[in-house]
Amino acid sequence: MNGFSDFLELHPLFSWLFDLLKSTGLQDPWLHLVHYGALSVMMFGLLALIALFLVWWERKIAGHIQQRFGPMRHGWHGWYQTVMDAIKLLQKEDVKIALRDKPVFFWAPIVCFVAAFCVYVVMPFGENLIVADLNIGILYVLAITTWTVISLLMAGWGSNNKYALLGGMRSAAQIVSYEVPMALSILTPILFVSSLSMNDIVLSQSGPIYNWFIFRLPFGPIAFLTFIVAGTAEANRTPFDIPEAEQELVSGYNVEYSGMKFAMFFLAEFVNMFTIAAVAVTIFFGGWNGFEFLPSWLWFLGKTLLIVLLLMLFRWTYPRLRVDQLMVFAWKFLVPLTFANLIIAGLFKHLGWYW
Amino acid sequence: MTLRTEEFVVNMGPHHPSTHGVCRLLLTLDGERVKKVEPIIGYLHRAIEKICENRTYPQCIPILDRFEYVTAMSCNYVFSLAAERLAQIEVPERAEYLRVIMLELNRIASHLLFYGVTAMDIGAYTPFLYGLRERELIIDLFEMTCGQRLTYNYIRIGGVSQDIPPEFAPKCREAVRIIGEKMSDYEGLLNENPIWLARTKGIGILKPEDAIAWGVSGPVLRASGVKHDLRRDDPYSIYDRFDFDIPVQPNGDTFDRYIQRLDEIRESLKIITQALDGLEGLEDNTIKAKVSPNFKPPAGEVYARIENSRGELGVYVISDGSKKPLRVKARGGSYNQLQALPLMCHDVMVADLVAIFATLDVIMPEVDR
Amino acid sequence: MGVMKDLKNLIAGLGITGKHLGRHAITIQYPEQRDTIPERSRGIVVLLSDKETGELNCTACQLCMRACPTGAIVVEFERDENKRKILTKFDLDNTICCFCGLCEESCNFSALKLATKYEFSTTDKDGLLWDMHKLQEVGRDVPYVDTRKKKAEKSEKKPTPKPAPKPADEQPAPKDSSEAPQPADKTPGVGDMPDKPKAAQKPDDPNDGGTDVASDNRDDDTKREGND
Repeated sequence: MNGFSDFLELHPLFSWLFDLLKSTGLQDPWLHLVHYGALSVMMFGLLALIALFLVWWERKIAGHIQQRFGPMRHGWHGWYQTVMDAIKLLQKEDVKIALRDKPVFFWAPIVCFVAAFCVYVVMPFGENLIVADLNIGILYVLAITTWTVISLLMAGWGSNNKYALLGGMRSAAQIVSYEVPMALSILTPILFVSSLSMNDIVLSQSGPIYNWFIFRLPFGPIAFLTFIVAGTAEANRTPFDIPEAEQELVSGYNVEYSGMKFAMFFLAEFVNMFTIAAVAVTIFFGGWNGFEFLPSWLWFLGKTLLIVLLLMLFRWTYPRLRVDQLMVFAWKFLVPLTFANLIIAGLFKHLGWYW
Repeated sequence: MTLRTEEFVVNMGPHHPSTHGVCRLLLTLDGERVKKVEPIIGYLHRAIEKICENRTYPQCIPILDRFEYVTAMSCNYVFSLAAERLAQIEVPERAEYLRVIMLELNRIASHLLFYGVTAMDIGAYTPFLYGLRERELIIDLFEMTCGQRLTYNYIRIGGVSQDIPPEFAPKCREAVRIIGEKMSDYEGLLNENPIWLARTKGIGILKPEDAIAWGVSGPVLRASGVKHDLRRDDPYSIYDRFDFDIPVQPNGDTFDRYIQRLDEIRESLKIITQALDGLEGLEDNTIKAKVSPNFKPPAGEVYARIENSRGELGVYVISDGSKKPLRVKARGGSYNQLQALPLMCHDVMVADLVAIFATLDVIMPEVDR
Repeated sequence: MGVMKDLKNLIAGLGITGKHLGRHAITIQYPEQRDTIPERSRGIVVLLSDKETGELNCTACQLCMRACPTGAIVVEFERDENKRKILTKFDLDNTICCFCGLCEESCNFSALKLATKYEFSTTDKDGLLWDMHKLQEVGRDVPYVDTRKKKAEKSEKKPTPKPAPKPADEQPAPKDSSEAPQPADKTPGVGDMPDKPKAAQKPDDPNDGGTDVASDNRDDDTKREGND
């Protein structure tokens, strides 16, 4: 059993890479720079593949919920449909409005894309499978996910379209409002870890399954629920997808983008969704912990994909909230709830009622 | 210091994913609030009434199929009713039973489409597919009987054009059973969903006196609390033989209009079951009275109206004794509901306007003809 | 509490959509799989040919042309030396045909039918303007019930002096090959609808057979020239 999972573990790959670079005679600091650079490129490649997979998976899940098939033509059950869509988007004309604000219009999709991917340098994909185990891991995640606000505002402004601007501002207001409950609900389990490092969070949930933070009643499930709700709003997914709703008058911040720029926004949205799921798994579901017959990264991926399935079910089940109802829900309901949850968790820690 | 704000006029133009058909709404917005709504129609005018003046009575029926294609059986029927009243034709009983079955099946199909489209406009994408899946059952029944899925040309002057095939009755009962079961799915998905309630409760209230004053009819009127249904108040065909309720809802908001149509689906299922039972007991198999193909009603005028899934569908026919009508005027309930739209959209947000418009279930071909 | 009820309902909603994940999809992959079409389905109009001789059943009576509400059918004929009609033109404009079936119902000679075929998309409008030969070709394998023979059997069984079947040499009929030849100049006039009950129907004014869309209008608004 152990031999099988050892066989599939990836961290020997990293040390092999490090030794390879060392053997070429590179010195510090270049050695570490190139090593981390290579790891980041590999992580980027992996995430691009995950994003393509998620687009396909969303369409299949949506199809089967609606009792139809989804993509079926390109490959077995359409598995390379997304690749064909990407090729199609590459061929599209990059429509640039004459009166756009050029630098802002150009950099908005890039900022969004980069922000989405930068989070993953601290994500623990498996045991010893983390690019950089920063000791401020979770704080870094929260900080980087806020970059998307800037990119939305830039997209709205740079399009020179009052509806795009309105959509961008609504979206920015939504993301900023839901940052607060998200941060508070992340903090609740962190109280018990006494460290912000992602790896430490996962390690503190090792052992039996009831060590996972979601099973630590009563604050665990509430924290998870508020985190998922706030995370869905962060990722602009239904029921909080007012910025992208086609049925509304205002079509959203990316209405004037076409071709590859639009593809960047689109992929960034899916990567954001994966981020929310990955953070949820890391904090609440034990990260890469699991029985040893499977390698740790498989556990991580499996759990994350289940949470992604949950997010997709949300999208295809619930109607959309109106924008003022969204804000009321965030500030008048979620923030007091998460504050109360944090206080209760603090009380439990102080009184020692935890394991 | 007050912030200077300006109202701006925005066109929710004929091409829009949530205006059902080509309807142009001229909105005057103050920020997010709608101050004034002005519907501008005419984008789907096809001169149907004028075309009918140059067609014989049997030829008018496929033309009027396209008047309101979601409930084409009703359009066929109301014109046939007008012609039969002009020429004093008595329709055989089997034909009447078949007509009632087709009309009620069509009503259910229309309400299922409403359910799907309204849910989609408010953001839930899945009920659309569920509603259309059940509607497929009904459309398949129609295809089995008359050959077409949307514009039927089935209910003719004097009866119906073809008898139902033998596999119709068991399949119809099966469809009725399946739809009755799936109603719990539809309701479980949306009826008590807090997001749905937040989006639809208390939005777009239409008071009963306003509804009557503006000539609104059909489910919108009954959702405002007025118990008026032409199948009871001005009975036509053999509706007086069936036992069904007329549901009404108390408030007249968007949620009630949605619930009203789901309740009406249930009532229609009852009527269809009773009609199928009644059909089995008939001995006489004639499905059409003897009407010559060169149908020439005596000179006169008649107004025939029925209860459509959108309200009162009426046809006013003036005949001069020749084989072509002198004037055909058709009216549908959507016209009045579109007129009443500004009444319900006082100081709502744009998202609510979309929800209100969806629950009015306006079909533009009926408005524009 | 209201919150717990809302939460319960939200989870129930997820359950309803989630249970569909386990069910098989109900759609089919067209064009590899096709749905079975009911036999009464109204597809495109085709011209039917006699099962033995292979010639068109149409006698150019123009009843279908007059029955069509949109004017999609154009029938033209010539008289030969025996004053019999020869069909010279039968055009069907599929771009304006509304598939109502009134032409099929008005025909007494099993000459045309709305077959269950429906896959005739073209990229060019002219591909949808069909002439006699195309209509006959598409209709070759369409099964139909030949009502002419039924009427012939019915008229043979009647004891009252109906026109007895005339010997074949009196009437060289290029089109008619059924057992009961029709008398040469009898205008078909009003015919039976196929689903009418067996009782005979008193015919109406035979010269007033239907309406002609292309003329005889109150206002001359549907005058058709060619295929515009």
